[in-house]
Amino acid sequence: MDTAFRKIDIDIYDEDTLQESELYDADPRDPAQVLDDAKQRQAAVRSSLAKGDIGEALSITLDNAPYGPGVDAAKEITLQTLLTILNSTKSTEITGIIKTLSQDSQDTLMKYLYKGMGMPGWGDISGSVLLGWHEKLTEVAGTGSIVRAMTDRRTV
Amino acid sequence: MILLEPQNVIIQTTLSEKIIKPSSLDVQFVDYDGVRFHLSTPEKKTVLLLSMHIRCWDELVKYGALDILRREYGALVATQVENEYNVSLEIDIEQVPADPEARDAFVMSIALFKRNALAAPFELGFKTQKELESSGGQGELMQIHYRDEEAIYIQASLDRVTVIFSTVFQDETDRIFGKVFLQEFVDARRQPSIQNAPQVLYSNRDPPLEIRHVPGLRNTEDVGYVTFVLFPRHFVNPSTASATISHIQLFRDYLHYHIKCSKAYMHSRMRHRVAEFQKVLNRAKTEVATGERKTVSGRTMVSR
Amino acid sequence: MSNVLRPYLAAVRSTLTAALTLENFSSQVVERHNKPEVETGTSKEVLLNPLTISRNENERVLIEPSVNSIRLSIKIKQADEIERILCHKFTRFMMQRAESFIVLRRKPVQGYDISFLITNTHTETMLKHKIVDFIIQFMEEVDKEISEMKLSLNARARIVAESYLTAFNT
Repeated sequence: MDTAFRKIDIDIYDEDTLQESELYDADPRDPAQVLDDAKQRQAAVRSSLAKGDIGEALSITLDNAPYGPGVDAAKEITLQTLLTILNSTKSTEITGIIKTLSQDSQDTLMKYLYKGMGMPGWGDISGSVLLGWHEKLTEVAGTGSIVRAMTDRRTV
Repeated sequence: MILLEPQNVIIQTTLSEKIIKPSSLDVQFVDYDGVRFHLSTPEKKTVLLLSMHIRCWDELVKYGALDILRREYGALVATQVENEYNVSLEIDIEQVPADPEARDAFVMSIALFKRNALAAPFELGFKTQKELESSGGQGELMQIHYRDEEAIYIQASLDRVTVIFSTVFQDETDRIFGKVFLQEFVDARRQPSIQNAPQVLYSNRDPPLEIRHVPGLRNTEDVGYVTFVLFPRHFVNPSTASATISHIQLFRDYLHYHIKCSKAYMHSRMRHRVAEFQKVLNRAKTEVATGERKTVSGRTMVSR
Repeated sequence: MSNVLRPYLAAVRSTLTAALTLENFSSQVVERHNKPEVETGTSKEVLLNPLTISRNENERVLIEPSVNSIRLSIKIKQADEIERILCHKFTRFMMQRAESFIVLRRKPVQGYDISFLITNTHTETMLKHKIVDFIIQFMEEVDKEISEMKLSLNARARIVAESYLTAFNT
C-alpha cells in the first residue's frame, strides 16, 4: 500500500495557516530604493566619520535600517558600514555614544551586533569589538533590548 | 610504577612458594603479547613442569632461541615438550640451591623465561654487528611477528643495530595519545642527561626505509613505526647487552601501558569534573518542603 | 575569570537571561501535546530569532529561543588534534549522563559540541539565575579542563619517555 500520503503536510493547505509575511508589516519601500538608500547613507556616514562625529554616523545607519526579505544587498552594505563605525570607535567613548541614541536605534544596533557575531566568515571584524559593544549596550539599554532583538520579526 | 619489569611475577612468586613448601598444582597464565604459560606438577610434587607458548616461536627458533635457552637453563630444558606448547622446563625442586641468594637468582632466571626466548634475535643481531665490523655489509633483516598485527624488525649493519617496532593503535584516542608519547620519545633524547640513549625515530603510517620492501605492511593511519638505533656502546659487554635487551623488548608494552594509564586518568578526571558540574546544577534546584506531616490524631500522612 | 573571556561570558549571560522567559505552552498543531517548541518547530509564530554570540570562528554559542523552551549550543575551542579528541571525550562523557543533568541535550546541534535544552518546567522547578550560573560556569571550566588534561598528557608523555631512555644509561 502506498504510504507516502502520510508524510504530506496537510496543514499548509489550511486557510488559517500563518504565513511568514503575516508575522510583521512588510517594508513599504521598494527593494531597489532601499539599496540606493543604503548606499547614500554609506557615503553620509563616511563624511560624518571624517568629521569624527560617531554619534551622528551611528544614527544615520540605524534609522530606517533595511529589514524583511529581498533586500539582502542593502542589509550587507548597512552591516559593513556599521562595522566600520564600530571598529573606529574608542572603547572609552562607547557608553557615551550609546546614551545619545534613541531606544529604537539602540534595539537596531543590538540586532546588528548579533548579526555580526552570527556571520560565518569573519573578515576584518574582531569578535572582541562586538562583544565590547554588546556589553556596554546591555548596560545602557538593559535586557529588554536583547528581548526585543529576539522577538522582533523585522530581522536586519 | 613507571617502568615495566622483565620477569614474570607469577612464576617468581609461585616458584618461591613451592620451593619452600612443595605441593601439587596446575595453573595456566599469560604474559604480555599473548604468551601463555602452564605451570604444573604432572608426576610428583617436587618436579614442576613450566611450559610456554609464544606466537612467533618458529621465527625465534630460526634465530637461535633454543641455543640461548639451553645456555641459560642447561639440562632444565625438557626433551619432551608438552602438548599445545612450544617449549618446556623441568624444575626439580630438590636440586634448587639452598643458599637464599643463589635460590633467588635461580627463581629470577626461571621467571625470565619469556625474556630469554625473545632475546635470541637481539643477541644474534649484536653478534652479527661484531662480525660486520671487519667485513662490512648488512645483516639479514630479522622479523619477529610477536603479535597478530605487530612485529619487531631487527637488522645489524656496520656500526649499529636497528630495531623497528610496528604498532597498531586500536582507536582514534590511542592513535593521538600515541603520537604525543612518541613525539616525546624523539624530543626527550635532546636532553644532555640522556644523550647516551639510543636514537629514536618515529613515523606514522609510512614504514621506514629499512623495512619498506617487506611485503604485507599496512600503511593506514592507525599504524606507527618506531625505530631504535642501537650503537655498540649499548651492548659493549654482556651485562649491558642483557639490560638493553630486557629493556627494549618491552617497549611496545610500555608504550601501550602508559597510553591506557593516561586514558584511565582522563576518565577519572572527567568523572570528578562532571560531579562538580552536577553540584553546581543542583544548587539551582529549589528546595521542596519535605517535612513529615501529621494528622490531628498523630498519624503520619502518606501520599499514595 | 580571565579578562579576555569576560566580555564573551557576559554576553552569553545577558542573552541567556533575556531568553529564559518561558511559559507553559501546549502544541497548536497536535491536540494534547506539550512539547518544546524549539525542537518540534511546527508553529513559526512561537519561534524567536536565533542569536549567536561568538569570540571567534571556533568559539561560538547559539541560542534558539521559543515560547516554552530554549536551546543553547556551545562550540568549544579546539586548537589541535589532541584538544579535539579530549573535547569529544569530555562532551560525550557528559551527554551520556544527560538524565542527571536535566537541562542537557543528548545530542549536540549540528556544528556544535554540546547542547542544552531548557524548558518551562525547568525554569519553574529551578532558580533561573542559578541555571544561568551553571551554564556560564560550565563554559568557563570546560576550556580550563581541556587544557589541563592536555598539559597532564604532555607531562606524562615526557616523564615516560625520559625514564625509558634514561634506563639505557645504566
